[in-house]
Amino acid sequence: MSTYEEFDEKDYGKLSTPILQRLLGLLKPHWRWVVGFLVCIALVSMIDAYTTYLSAQIIDDGILAGSREAIVRTIFIYGGVMLLQAGFAFGFIYLTGVLGERVRYDMRKSMFTHLQQLSLSYFSQTPVGWIMARLTSDTERLADLMTWGLLDVTWATINIGTAAVFMFIINPNLALIVLATLPIMIVVAFRFRIRILHHYRRSRKMNSKITGAFNEGITGVRVIKALAREDDNLKEFGELTDGMYEASYRAAWLSALFLPTVQVISAIGLGIVLWRGGMQVQVGIMTIGGIQAFVSYMTFIMWPIQDMARVYAQMQNAVASAERIFNLIDTEPDVKNRPRTVKTETIAGEIRFDNVHFHYEADDPVIKGLNFHVRQGEMVALVGPTGGGKTTIVNLLCRFYEPTQGTIYFNGVDYQDMKLQDIQSRIGMVLQTPHLFSGSIRENIRYGKLNATDEETEAAAKMAGAHDFIMQFEKGYEQDVGEGGNLLSVGQKQLISIARAILAQPELFIMDEATSSVDTLTEALIQRGMDRLMEGRTSFVIAHRLSTIKRADKIIVIEDGQMQEMGTHRELINQKGKYYNLYTRQFRQELEAQYDIFNQPEAAKA
Amino acid sequence: MSDKTYYDLDLSQTITKNRLVGLWRMMKGYQWFYIGATTALAIATISRTGIYLVLRRFIDDIVIAGNFGQGMMVIILMFIGLALLQGSFTFVSGWLAAKTAEGITRRLRNFLFDHLQRLPFAYHAEAQTGDLVARATSDIDAINRFYSDQAIGIGRILLMFVVNFVALLQLNTRLALISVIAIPAIIAVSIYFFSRVSKAYEAYQEQEATLSSRIQENLTGVRVVKAFARQGYENYKFDQENWRKFKLGKQLLSIHSLFWPISDIICGAQMLSSFFIGAIMALNGEITVGTYMAFISLVIWIIWPMRNLGRLIVQTSTGMVSYKRVTELLQEERESLLEGDYTPTGDAMGEIIFQDVCFEYEQDNLVLNGVSFTCNPGDVIALLGSTGSGKTTLVNLLPRFYDPTSGLITLDSVDITSYPRKYLRSQIGIVEQEPFLFSRSIRENITYGVHREVSQEEIIQAAEFAAIHDVIMEFPKDYDTLVGERGVTLSGGQKQRVAIARALLKNPRILILDDSTSSVDTETEMHIRAALEHLMQTRTTFIIAHRIQSVMDADLILVFDKGEIVQKGTHKELMQTSGMYQDIFDIQTKIEVELEKEISSVNL
Repeated sequence: MSTYEEFDEKDYGKLSTPILQRLLGLLKPHWRWVVGFLVCIALVSMIDAYTTYLSAQIIDDGILAGSREAIVRTIFIYGGVMLLQAGFAFGFIYLTGVLGERVRYDMRKSMFTHLQQLSLSYFSQTPVGWIMARLTSDTERLADLMTWGLLDVTWATINIGTAAVFMFIINPNLALIVLATLPIMIVVAFRFRIRILHHYRRSRKMNSKITGAFNEGITGVRVIKALAREDDNLKEFGELTDGMYEASYRAAWLSALFLPTVQVISAIGLGIVLWRGGMQVQVGIMTIGGIQAFVSYMTFIMWPIQDMARVYAQMQNAVASAERIFNLIDTEPDVKNRPRTVKTETIAGEIRFDNVHFHYEADDPVIKGLNFHVRQGEMVALVGPTGGGKTTIVNLLCRFYEPTQGTIYFNGVDYQDMKLQDIQSRIGMVLQTPHLFSGSIRENIRYGKLNATDEETEAAAKMAGAHDFIMQFEKGYEQDVGEGGNLLSVGQKQLISIARAILAQPELFIMDEATSSVDTLTEALIQRGMDRLMEGRTSFVIAHRLSTIKRADKIIVIEDGQMQEMGTHRELINQKGKYYNLYTRQFRQELEAQYDIFNQPEAAKA
Repeated sequence: MSDKTYYDLDLSQTITKNRLVGLWRMMKGYQWFYIGATTALAIATISRTGIYLVLRRFIDDIVIAGNFGQGMMVIILMFIGLALLQGSFTFVSGWLAAKTAEGITRRLRNFLFDHLQRLPFAYHAEAQTGDLVARATSDIDAINRFYSDQAIGIGRILLMFVVNFVALLQLNTRLALISVIAIPAIIAVSIYFFSRVSKAYEAYQEQEATLSSRIQENLTGVRVVKAFARQGYENYKFDQENWRKFKLGKQLLSIHSLFWPISDIICGAQMLSSFFIGAIMALNGEITVGTYMAFISLVIWIIWPMRNLGRLIVQTSTGMVSYKRVTELLQEERESLLEGDYTPTGDAMGEIIFQDVCFEYEQDNLVLNGVSFTCNPGDVIALLGSTGSGKTTLVNLLPRFYDPTSGLITLDSVDITSYPRKYLRSQIGIVEQEPFLFSRSIRENITYGVHREVSQEEIIQAAEFAAIHDVIMEFPKDYDTLVGERGVTLSGGQKQRVAIARALLKNPRILILDDSTSSVDTETEMHIRAALEHLMQTRTTFIIAHRIQSVMDADLILVFDKGEIVQKGTHKELMQTSGMYQDIFDIQTKIEVELEKEISSVNL
């Protein structure tokens, strides 16, 4: 089963000073909010402890002293501070909550902005799911710790502190007994919480495996049925649910034991207090109201303790989250501008690859010494088997990657001396599986030139041959394309991405031709759109169709990271080498499809 | 198979009109645990109330009466004893509730998983994967929360109310009645509030989903973003959604920050007026000081928990919706793997006869119309025809993914509906054009569904025959490399070869083959062809063919058009009659002529 475990190697982290400093740095711009909620919660907490003291006064100064006036007065004070407390409660909930949302917003923003700067190699090595988890669950966890966690700890500390002060005012002797039980309760509570968290995390992991199993069980149901694997599958799934049961049962069991244990410890402490306190009433140094107050303090002391323990456990988790988030933010882009760059007005002109090598990992070269040059306005077709290195060449050309050895020259200038933005803003690209963004068709075409007018947009669509099918939609250009453009067909997506590239008026055009079949009409439209785009521009096409390949000024056969053959169609056919074989095979396939013998193979699945 | 049962109850039998009754029936086997949990909870609640009554005695009979002696020790021991009792039974209650909730959930998950994989093919063809997964995961989680949190939580609040109220009545009827006046108001406010919160929360969650898909889109489209140098624009678009989430979060917080203080004030007012009246009564000597002290503690335990009742009630209603969504799945009829009265002991021979077979997915829309043919054991049957002509439907009838609407299919002269599906499927191997692979290791994918222990040598041998061994050895962890997002992505052709290796290991009597070797180079294509030929030896084989080469040697060629067989025979026979087959062959020849022309034209 696949999980994220390999990537999420760490579940728990240790809070170090640098991390703490960076965490506080996140709060710094909003320090007024932090002060605000801390003041509010501190007051709420003190009032909590104070009202218990007031309750004792009702008994001592009111009932036992026989003073109706004292009762009325104390109740009024009580009511007054409760109203105040409600006001402060409003304050802390609002301030803490909104601050939490704000911190989330900030963190997501800085991560997202940083991601835009990172190089393509980062994305090809990091699963999308991993990055997503940093921006979602890790962000949640961290923001919660820094707002609600901080709040809970503040409340708990002040609550215990204030209660201790009042207990000392009432009876220092008994207060010491209570304080003696505190450390025991705290240690017990913290230990419980860590154990519970451990099992809880295990159950979350099992849960994501269970989700994965359901997913595969449903999408792969045809294979499962064909292989009659139902019983084995249930057995495997049963192991997952057993694991899930074990983990969540343990977590629930420990939770069930946790509070009663703390309660019993405090009850024993209270028993001692009652015994000693009762005696002291006799000698007049303890009041009945005082006993009442101690009973209350001891009964409710488990809440602050349990809060502290919870935050402590959460912190372990959140620090691991923080490490991962900071790790993402600290990642340096592989490809970036050099300290000194050449001013670039245009990249149109001659392009030269000079002994270009490239590898991701040193022992596994992808491109091995590539030499060729292309004149301004030429169309280059890259052909060859999948995995041979065609896409890498295109990525190098766009400077998504940089050569690990050798140089690429634009007009005789090493392109690494140019600004990235200067290169990339002059490139137009149409991908094999065109990527559209959710939104309207118009927005997607306009992606090529953000300030394009409606006329310009439509003109580009007309040139690309997309206008006609767009107008057939009920909403025309305002038609929604769905997530990733999935409401459109592949051919339609390609036409839109051609229109997008046309609108961008690039100086260098790169196209990865689709292998999947589109209907003949759309095919012809795409061809025409491409022709218009390539007019007068240097272009590189990862070509799959013979008609495209034949028109190329230069055909480069790439296999195994090396250039095998280069020349025009005629030259290469006469060589009767790799290109010749590739061409004849492709020729048969295309004609078979053209004559519609049994339809195109890809379509037969449906 | 082990003897272990993964579910001991047919959950589809527990469904009734009344959802609460259905939820109760779903607990079968755990009902006593749950009753035990509730009882323990009641004992714990009574113990806690008892503590305050003991406290009352302590104040009145010991402290005020000045009666310090053995009596005091007894009372203090009673106090600690009750606390122990309360603690233990709170634990027992939580423990039993956890056992119940987790046990029921495990059974439900197992049942649903098995149920889904046993629902007929027709169901899965229609159903949405995302919807099914959501029901199997988040809806089950919601049901789990109903048992572990909501039902027991509501029970706890109600028990606390009843027990403490009864105790209050014992202390003083008038005080008791005064102390609960505001409770209806508290419950009403809390229900109103939590139903608003759940709406605001939904909007917040939806925005979370929108935000996630924005990120996802950006990450998957990273090449486009970079190619157009649109990083700034992407930041701007993301910020809009990000800010909207912040706003929605703020709204949600506003509701929260109003509810809690308002309910504080209502509860506080109720509490203080009870305190006041109680104190005056104590002052007048109507109640003792001890009674007053017990009274104020009990009042606190009655009033404040009520604020959470609204939350539990609102959450329960969402739990009910989840229950309904899950039962909708449970009600679907399974297809049995074992039903059928004819199970041969050995392998099938492989003689298959179609007699006037018709099939329709929807009424009056025949996909197969009067299909009849005979194939002898070991024959190769080629199916030709355009997309939608019925080829795939025909092969789907063999493993009984679907049963014919009319007509008869026999295997070794026995109606195939008499065979248990499990037997049929064990006799049939399918190699699809681009088969689904599971996100496990390559090894596990190759041995998937081979119901026996397979040695590493056998696996390698099968992979070598399937011309995939060399490819696998280039992967980082060769046979242990994971397939999918976590590991390597295989091309369509490579997936197909994994499926061929699997079929070799499975060694079925009947083979269904989608013959397509597009997008591989000539050499690999040769290997695959050799592997397929090896695979087809001595088996009855059905080929969904895409090119003439794979058809020529077939024992029987069926040419399909619109669900009917328009031509059948061997290559030789069909070449002698004019018709679709000849047309196809002619085109093939024409292509070669054209290719020659094309090549020679290059130098003109």
